[in-house]
Amino acid sequence: MTDSPASKAAGYGGACPHARNGPRQERNGFPKSLRLCPREQNRDQDGEEGRAAPRHGAWCGRPVGESFEETPMLVAVLTYVGYGILTVFGYLRDFLRHWKIERCHIAREKEEQKDFVPLYQDFENFYTRNLYMRIRDNWNRPICSVPGAKMDLMERVSHDYNWTFEYTGEVVKDVINLGSYNYLGFAENTGRCADAAAEVSVTYGVGVASTRQEIGNLDIHEEMEKLVAEFLGVESAMAFGMGFATNSMNIPALTGKGCLILSDELNHASLVLGARLSGSTVRVFKHNNMQNLERLLREAIVGGQPRTHRPWKKILIVVEGIYSMEGSIVRLPEVMALKKRYRAYLYLDEAHSIGALGPGGRGVVEYFGLDPRDVDVMMGTFTKSFGAAGGYIAGKRELIDYLRCHSHSAVYATSMSPPVVEQIITSVKCIMGDDGAITGRSRVRQLAHNTVYFRRRLREMGFIIYGNDDSPVVPMMLYMPAKIGAFGREMLRRNVGVVVVGFPATPIIESRARFCISAAHSRDLLDREEKNQTKKDDRSLDGEALAAISEVGDLLQLKYSRRRLQLTAPRPSDDAVYDDMDD
Amino acid sequence: MAPAYHLILEGILILWIIRLLFSKTYKLHDTYKLTEREKEDLIEEWQPDLLVPPVSKDHSSLKYDVVSGPPSHKIIVNGKECINFASFNFLGLLDNERVKEKALMSLKKYGVGTCGPRGFYGTFDVHLELESRLAKFMKTEEAIIYSYGFATIASAIPAYSKRGDIIFVDEAACFAIQKGLQASRSFIKYFKHNDMEDLERLLKEQELEDQKNPRKARVTRKFIVVEGMYINTADICPLPELVKPLSSAVL
Repeated sequence: MTDSPASKAAGYGGACPHARNGPRQERNGFPKSLRLCPREQNRDQDGEEGRAAPRHGAWCGRPVGESFEETPMLVAVLTYVGYGILTVFGYLRDFLRHWKIERCHIAREKEEQKDFVPLYQDFENFYTRNLYMRIRDNWNRPICSVPGAKMDLMERVSHDYNWTFEYTGEVVKDVINLGSYNYLGFAENTGRCADAAAEVSVTYGVGVASTRQEIGNLDIHEEMEKLVAEFLGVESAMAFGMGFATNSMNIPALTGKGCLILSDELNHASLVLGARLSGSTVRVFKHNNMQNLERLLREAIVGGQPRTHRPWKKILIVVEGIYSMEGSIVRLPEVMALKKRYRAYLYLDEAHSIGALGPGGRGVVEYFGLDPRDVDVMMGTFTKSFGAAGGYIAGKRELIDYLRCHSHSAVYATSMSPPVVEQIITSVKCIMGDDGAITGRSRVRQLAHNTVYFRRRLREMGFIIYGNDDSPVVPMMLYMPAKIGAFGREMLRRNVGVVVVGFPATPIIESRARFCISAAHSRDLLDREEKNQTKKDDRSLDGEALAAISEVGDLLQLKYSRRRLQLTAPRPSDDAVYDDMDD
Repeated sequence: MAPAYHLILEGILILWIIRLLFSKTYKLHDTYKLTEREKEDLIEEWQPDLLVPPVSKDHSSLKYDVVSGPPSHKIIVNGKECINFASFNFLGLLDNERVKEKALMSLKKYGVGTCGPRGFYGTFDVHLELESRLAKFMKTEEAIIYSYGFATIASAIPAYSKRGDIIFVDEAACFAIQKGLQASRSFIKYFKHNDMEDLERLLKEQELEDQKNPRKARVTRKFIVVEGMYINTADICPLPELVKPLSSAVL
C-alpha cells in the first residue's frame, strides 16, 4: 500500500525507519532493533501535540531498542528433548499409580461419588501431575512482610515431593524481591501513604458493604476519581474494585453483537475474557504487528460481518501498554494513526505501564508524547505502581457517564474499601508532586535508571533478554524445563526471590524468568560493584542481585546470547532533561 | 499388443490431463473481487456508531448518592443522616472495634497492597491463616479466597464446568452466577425458582438422554447451581430436598 498510514504515522513521512513487522524477525540470533522515535520528526511541526508534553523530548533523540533474540537451534532441540523425557517419565509414573505401585496423591472423588463422571479427565491433568508438581515450590511462596524491595519468606518444606507443604515456622529474612509488581516502590508500611490509609481505616472503617449505585459511593471515591482523571489528563474516570474484573465487566458494556474486537495476540486473560463475554466477533492480530492490524482493519471494513456482510457497528482495537510476559511496549503512535484513519476505537490497557513509563509517570501515552484525549478508553490498574488494589477506566465524560449507569461492576459489585482508596489518593498526589515534594518525580527517575542499568548489565553478562529497553518488566529466557525449577531454587538459596514462568503462560519452549524492577531497589541492592568484597560467610544482603544472577547463570549455563554488548559507558543520565520540564 | 481403441483412449486421457494441468483454474469468487478503488470507497463511506450511546441527563443511576462518613447503621447520605436499611451489614461488623484494630495492625505490618497475584509472592501468611480458618468454620477440608466477591462464583463455575457439560441452574440466580455460566460455555438448563419437581423432571429427562447415548454420558459432567439465599427474590433454597439422594438421577 503506497499511502499506508502505518508509514505516515504521526508525521514520519515517506520511508519508515523502523522494521515493519512484529518481533519474530530475527534470524540466527541477530536481532533487529527498532527505532522508535516519534518526537524527532515532530519537532518541525508546530502545535501537533501541543499539550503539556515536553518539547525537547525526554523520550526521543536516542535509539530505543526492542529485541527478541531468536532461540538458538541447539537450545530448542534440547528443550524438546527435555520435554520428551519428562513426558515419558510421566507416562511411567501414571502407569505405576494406576497399578497402585506408587501412592497416588491427586484429588479423587469420594467413595459415594465413585459412579460420577470424574471432575478432571486424566489426560487434562497430565501436565499438572507430572511436570508442574515437580517444581511447584517455586510458586505460591508465602511471605510475611511488606512486599517491598526486600521481603521475608516463610520457610516451607515438602516431604512428599511437593504434593503437600509444611511450614517449619522459620522465616527467611531479607530476601531481595525481584518478583512483586512494585514499580514505584509504594509498597511500604511507613510513610505518608500508609499513615493516611491508617487514618481513613479508623474513621471510615474497612468495608463498605454496598454497590456503587446503591449506598456504597463514599465521598472519597469521588475525590479519587477526580484525581485520577486529572493525573491522566482526561475528562473523567471511574474506579472499580479489581483490575481483572475491570476488563471482564466493562468490555461487555462497550461492545456487543455486531461489533468487532481486534485484539493483540498476547493480550492478558482479562481482556480475552471480556472480549469473549461481550459476544462480539474477536479477531487476533500478530503481536505488535501494524501491517497485520491494518490488513485486518481493511478486510473488516470492506467485508463487513461474516456471512451477512452488513457493516460493523463499531470496531474496537484492544492493546496493552506493556506486555507483561514479553516486556514489549505497544507501538502507540502507529496504532493511533491507524485508528484515526479507519475510525476505530482504541482500548488501551495500561496495567503495567501506568506509573512506570513516561517522565511524569503518566504511562505509555506520555512516554510517546501523545495526547491522552485521543485514546478512547484508557484502562489501568492500581495494583502495580500505586501499591493499592483495583482498576480504573478513564476517558470522555460521555463514556464514563455511560459506564456509571451500565457497567456490571457498578450495579452488582461492592465498591472499593476506604483504606485502599486513600492509598490511591495519596500515591497519585505523591506522583503528581502536589505539595512541592519531589519524591514522586524522584521515584519515576529512580525506576528509569534502575531499568536501564539492570537491562544493560544483564545483556552484558550474556543473557537473552526480551522486550523494550525502557520497560521495567525484564523477561530472561531459560528455555529448558529443568532450568525453570533450578533457577528459582538456586536464586532463593542466594536470597533473591524471582518469578519463573513456564507453559501455559508462555509458549512451550520459551519459559523464562521475569524480573520486575522497582524504584525501591537502591543501586547497591542491584549490584555491588562499588562495594568491597566481604568475607564469604558475612553475607552482605545489599548488592547481591546481579551477582547472584550471574553466578546462577554460569552454574546453569543460561548465558545463551550470541550477541555481546560492548561494555560502553552508561547512557547520559536524564537528569538535565527531567529538571527542565515544566509541567 | 493392446487393441487400437485402448491406445487411442489412453492417449486422449493423457492429453486431457495435460490440458487440465496447464489451464487456469476458474475461481468462482474472482468475479466478486472488489477493485482497490471500490475498497477505498467502502472504507471512506463506513461510519461507526458512537462508542457509547448518549445517556440522558436525568438517568436514574447517573448521579450516585454520596455518603460522607463511615457506613454503619446510621449513615449520612447527601448530607442527611439516615438509618441504614440499605447496606449488606447483616452482623454489624462494619463498626466492630476489634476488626478495625486488627486491620490497622495488619496495615502497619504489610502495607495496603499485595503487589502481585497469589502465585508470585502475593500470598501472605494471613491469607493462608484465613483459608484454614474458613475451612474449619465451614467444616470442609480446604478453602480458597478471592479478592473480589463478584469474581468468586464467576471464576469458580468455569473452573469446573467446561464446554459440553450440563449445568442445572435456578431461574433466579444472581448476575455473578450468570456471568460464570456464560464464561463456562456449558449447556445451561434453568428450572423454576425453588421448584424441586421441575428440577427432578429435568434430571429425569437428562437421564433418558444419557441412556440413549451412554458414551457421551460417560464424559459429560453435570452440576446443579443454587444460592443459599437469593438476592433477587429473598428466598432460601430448599437444601435438604436437594441433597437427599434423588432416586433415579445420577448427579
